[in-house]
Amino acid sequence: MRTRESLGGMALLAPTLLLLLGLVLYPFCYAIWLAFSDKTVGSPGQYVGLRNFIYVLSWPQFSAAVTNTIVFTVSAVAIKFVLGMAVALVLNQRIRARNFFRAFLLLPWVMPAFVVYLVWRWLYDPLAGLINYALLDIGVIASPIAFLSDRSTAMGSVVVAHAWRNFPFYAISFLAGMQTISQELYDSAQVDGASRIRQFRHITLPGLYHIIGVVLLLTTIQTANAFEPIYLLTGGGPSDATMVYTMLVYVMGIMNLRLGEAAAVSTLFLPLLVGLVLVVTMLLQKKANA
Amino acid sequence: MHESLSIRVTTYALLAIFVFLVAVPLFWMVATALKSNKDLYEDFSYLPTRPTLQHFVRVITREDLLTNIRNSFVVATTTTAVTVVVSAFAAFSIVRYRYWGREWVGRLILFKYLLPTAMLFIPLYTIVVAMGLGNTLKSLMLTYLSFTVPFCTWMLMGYFRSIPPELEEHAMVDGCSKIGALFRILFPLSAPGIVASAIFSFTLAWNEFLLALVFTSDHTTMTIPIKLSMMVVGDQYIWGQLMAGAVLASVPIAILYFLAQRFVVQGLAAGAVKG
Repeated sequence: MRTRESLGGMALLAPTLLLLLGLVLYPFCYAIWLAFSDKTVGSPGQYVGLRNFIYVLSWPQFSAAVTNTIVFTVSAVAIKFVLGMAVALVLNQRIRARNFFRAFLLLPWVMPAFVVYLVWRWLYDPLAGLINYALLDIGVIASPIAFLSDRSTAMGSVVVAHAWRNFPFYAISFLAGMQTISQELYDSAQVDGASRIRQFRHITLPGLYHIIGVVLLLTTIQTANAFEPIYLLTGGGPSDATMVYTMLVYVMGIMNLRLGEAAAVSTLFLPLLVGLVLVVTMLLQKKANA
Repeated sequence: MHESLSIRVTTYALLAIFVFLVAVPLFWMVATALKSNKDLYEDFSYLPTRPTLQHFVRVITREDLLTNIRNSFVVATTTTAVTVVVSAFAAFSIVRYRYWGREWVGRLILFKYLLPTAMLFIPLYTIVVAMGLGNTLKSLMLTYLSFTVPFCTWMLMGYFRSIPPELEEHAMVDGCSKIGALFRILFPLSAPGIVASAIFSFTLAWNEFLLALVFTSDHTTMTIPIKLSMMVVGDQYIWGQLMAGAVLASVPIAILYFLAQRFVVQGLAAGAVKG
């Protein structure tokens, strides 16, 4: 009876297990093998040892991708965090039509990401884009800025568009956390004469540690792996100024059809991603223990 | 009293800024879609002075955008239907049965979360080509399961755990089989969670970009995100049509969230709070 029951359980699990093995574990192992081979589309490929890695590491585009991925991830997460926290604090106050505003401020995150980045590409347009027009109109700038094709503004512009689309996830998660913190804590702090800033530091923030941890962990990984904002806004340019690693894998693997080198790039980034995750987790644990 | 007034002023001032920042790009998308090319490129105006639907008509007749929207819809609904069934059974099995190796599936799902798509898309591409599915919608339906199923299984595991197993046990004492109890007790009670997981699955599939970009290569098999991204590089004066396309691509998702906002916010909050 017990074995029959556990067989039933396994049967229910079988499709998911097959999918995970076939579409996650097998491709993962295959990617590692590709990184050690000279496979191209149509040829079986031979084991070539560390050749792809040595080649990739000597490539200036690869070091640009490392720097850009870190800059993009750290600045985007920081902006989303601050903006998300500010929005959550505002929505947690007693304001009129709170449900309406909560739904409205969630809209960027509900919109399909590709739609958002196409809209931002149009907003940034140097010839007829709204941002340039408005800045010229109110006299802040004298001539249009080529936001996406100037090396000094491209990365910042991509980060802003990405942050605009993704801050609501932070906001709604933090808001959900704030609503579980007991009002009595604030009431007694009020009686003791604690300022709003002290209340935030000593009640709100500690109450949110767990959620902050989960949100930062998930979104750091997602941000480091972002592809769409780069592909749709700059394509990695101008001259690699926004070339993050996902874009580099795409350019090498799909546009140049160098599967081995592309797989080597993604394999080299795995320790970096794991490192990022460990740093975030450690920082949080230190905070939580402090 | 003084402090409370200044806080109220700050709150509403910040709220106004946030609403403005969110509203401008959304407004600009809709305004652009409704403007004539003259308004867009010659006499600049913030508002559409002569609103017209010509961009919507053009994007449908010239670019055949309805084909791409239909492709997205077919892929997203098929993926979602398979995902909900497969992940509901898997979550039920993991939460309610005891057998060896159960916890490994949970670990595999977490592993999938940490694993970047950038690492998987080239191997998946070679698998798809080897199966003879290159440049087909089937390749997307199959490979999208690699992220929808882990996501929904994880979400439903949380949901099923929150429902006491005693309810099913009572039904089984009354002569119901374990599977019968699943259909009569657990599924109906978890309806909000199942709806939420279906919405997430549909949205993930509708919005997916990288795999669709790599796997499909002609205008009849492209999903809507790829078609729109290909239009960017074509004509210089394409923005009216592009924004019309962007509006059309957002409509199904907007409707879905409008109808089911409660479930989604609940599901999201539950997921974030429980971790």
